[in-house]
Amino acid sequence: MMLGLVLAVIAGSLVSLQNIFNSKVNERAGSWATTTLVLGMGFLASLTFGLIFEGKEMFNLHNTQPWYWFSGLIGVGVVICMVQGMKLLSPTYAIAIVLTSQLGFALLWDSLGWLGLDKVPFTISKLVGVLVIVGGIYVFKLGGGEKQRAS
Amino acid sequence: MRGIIFALFGGAFITLQGVVNARISQDIGTWQAATITQFTGFIAALVILMFVRDGKWQGFKQVNPLYLMGGAFAAIIIFSDVTAIQQIGVTLTISALLIAQLGLTFIIDIKGWFGVQKQKMRVPQFIGIGMMIAGVVILGF
Repeated sequence: MMLGLVLAVIAGSLVSLQNIFNSKVNERAGSWATTTLVLGMGFLASLTFGLIFEGKEMFNLHNTQPWYWFSGLIGVGVVICMVQGMKLLSPTYAIAIVLTSQLGFALLWDSLGWLGLDKVPFTISKLVGVLVIVGGIYVFKLGGGEKQRAS
Repeated sequence: MRGIIFALFGGAFITLQGVVNARISQDIGTWQAATITQFTGFIAALVILMFVRDGKWQGFKQVNPLYLMGGAFAAIIIFSDVTAIQQIGVTLTISALLIAQLGLTFIIDIKGWFGVQKQKMRVPQFIGIGMMIAGVVILGF
């Protein structure tokens, strides 16, 4: 359990840095040029790490199913929804809703054991935990003092 | 209302990304999954960029090269995210990830790192982070 939590914290910290860096690029280059650059960089970095750690195994892709090749479209959906959401609401409100939705769907998909992942049974304490976190997000985001920023 | 729907879908897609990456990783390995999703996303974004032409490629030259590298973090983000999901499930992973994300952004805002506009510390942000951590502890039971 500890390893999982540590990895999640590392991922979250890097997401924070990445959002700040990306917003700096976004100010100058627009959202699609930025998205293209960001995904291109992610691709090169993933390929490099894969080659370092796995070598030739990296190209052993015969368990690949056709839909894997469309998985990247989800990232494009994220960008469209975030850009539109922040344009139509304020960034602060949009982000608060995005975070709430992230947690809600996480709980849903854990409970369903969707896509062949290990099912994590739904309990009342899980629901209470998520609601307390969501409450914290709204206090944090809407409690004043936070600058309007997409993160 | 439309804004709320976009925001809800945005959040759903972000979580879906983690779940799908974890699923693909089971079959072909985590680095392979990260490479494929980033590659196909890159191609799709490139095609859209050709059509919408909102891009100002010259804009890249005006940005500190360090910031242009931000996308490379995705390799480690996806690897950590997928491994965490496999170890502790989606809900706990996303919860811990969001706390770290909001917490670090908050610290950067207070310190004014990376040239962001400095923010004052306010009580609601501390209460909010405290509540989020309490929520994760409750989740752990």
